[in-house]
Amino acid sequence: MEFKDYYKALEIERTASEDEVRKAYRRLARKYHPDVSKEADAQARMRDINEANDVLRDKDKRAAYDALAERVARGGATGAPSDGGFHPPPGWDEGFEFHRAPGQGPADHADFSEFFSSVFGKAEQRASARRNQRARGEDHHAAIEISVEDAINGVQREITLRALEMDAQGQPTFVNRTLSVKIPAGVHPGQFIRLTGHGMPGHGGEPAGDLYLEVRIALHSLYRVEGRDLYLTLPITPTEAALGAQVQVPTPGGGVVEVTVPSNARGGLKLRVRDRGLPGKPPGHLYLLLEIALPPADTDAARKAYEQLAQAVPFNPRRFFGVGGTP
Amino acid sequence: MTQPSYTAVTVESVVAIDSENPIAALALAHACGADMDWVVQLVEIGIIGLPPSVAPPHDWRFDSADLQCALEARRLERDFGVGLEAAALILDLQHEVRRLKAALQVQRHSK
Repeated sequence: MEFKDYYKALEIERTASEDEVRKAYRRLARKYHPDVSKEADAQARMRDINEANDVLRDKDKRAAYDALAERVARGGATGAPSDGGFHPPPGWDEGFEFHRAPGQGPADHADFSEFFSSVFGKAEQRASARRNQRARGEDHHAAIEISVEDAINGVQREITLRALEMDAQGQPTFVNRTLSVKIPAGVHPGQFIRLTGHGMPGHGGEPAGDLYLEVRIALHSLYRVEGRDLYLTLPITPTEAALGAQVQVPTPGGGVVEVTVPSNARGGLKLRVRDRGLPGKPPGHLYLLLEIALPPADTDAARKAYEQLAQAVPFNPRRFFGVGGTP
Repeated sequence: MTQPSYTAVTVESVVAIDSENPIAALALAHACGADMDWVVQLVEIGIIGLPPSVAPPHDWRFDSADLQCALEARRLERDFGVGLEAAALILDLQHEVRRLKAALQVQRHSK
């Protein structure tokens, strides 16, 4: 893990005013927002920009960050090695934990780095305790990535959440909470899982906050996920496309379904296998996108077969051009 | 720096938020670091949905999509200083962009 230069992320000087921080964030957010940006690394840049903004726009966090950056530059920060990098203690990269203080609330807090959570996690908790003498604990937000198969079948997962605290001697120490969580079957991307009472402790006898896990589905070698629906590209031969066929298709639930490819099917045709997407009420569907795969003409027999087909079935796919057929 | 200390806890209360297991308006407000008045504004503007009902705000219930929209609206308010009406328009446009991109991706995969 590297020390994150938030000023560099926002392309501003360390002396930048609050207004300059705000303007820099808004300019870069427009440039790198994944919904509009053409940059290849837009998503990663937007995450860094959001994280930098969250720290530098807040006076307390910025002051703490500046002090830490200064110590790192001098090589005197806890865990900082002689090469000037910011190296965490062993086992650092096992988890993450984020806090949403009143008045804050970026939806993408769950994307923030371990560096952010380690430095600012407990600081937010202490600030909250000062603000609220008697208040329910703050909610936590984190993300969890699972496979398509786990989304369908459910899965037991261990999640390690981490925060930096001072021990009795005033030394920084990591406190980990490992939660064993059963992810219910049938979750879909963007859905939140609520773990009641696993947020920050309450103050003055009030209850703890909740932990919200946002579900993300990992890329799959076969299926793409859109909401509860799954998409699978289904290769078929020209013969199957022309004459129609019964073909077998794997389902992510582990089964196989037999589907009918209609005759004269074209590439790109979408077939729906009802209710075979992610489970739920209502369940999603499995969509099959037909892709016609040509047998390679790499043998005499194959080339002859193609020539015979051309003779038997004269066909000009460019007839609408009006410039003649195959010479 | 001392070594990390570990405590393992099995979480019994796990709820996937959806239309059958919604969260209350107050919980949604708390998750966003906001109050009930703010949630009422979201509903009035149409950023989060609510079935036709005369129920008082404390009886309102929301699903995951509502929570996601509320969190995004909160971020737009905070980071860009936009009003909630403008946030609603931005979110509508954002969702439309994502829908069109997903449709485009499906078309590309089918070619």
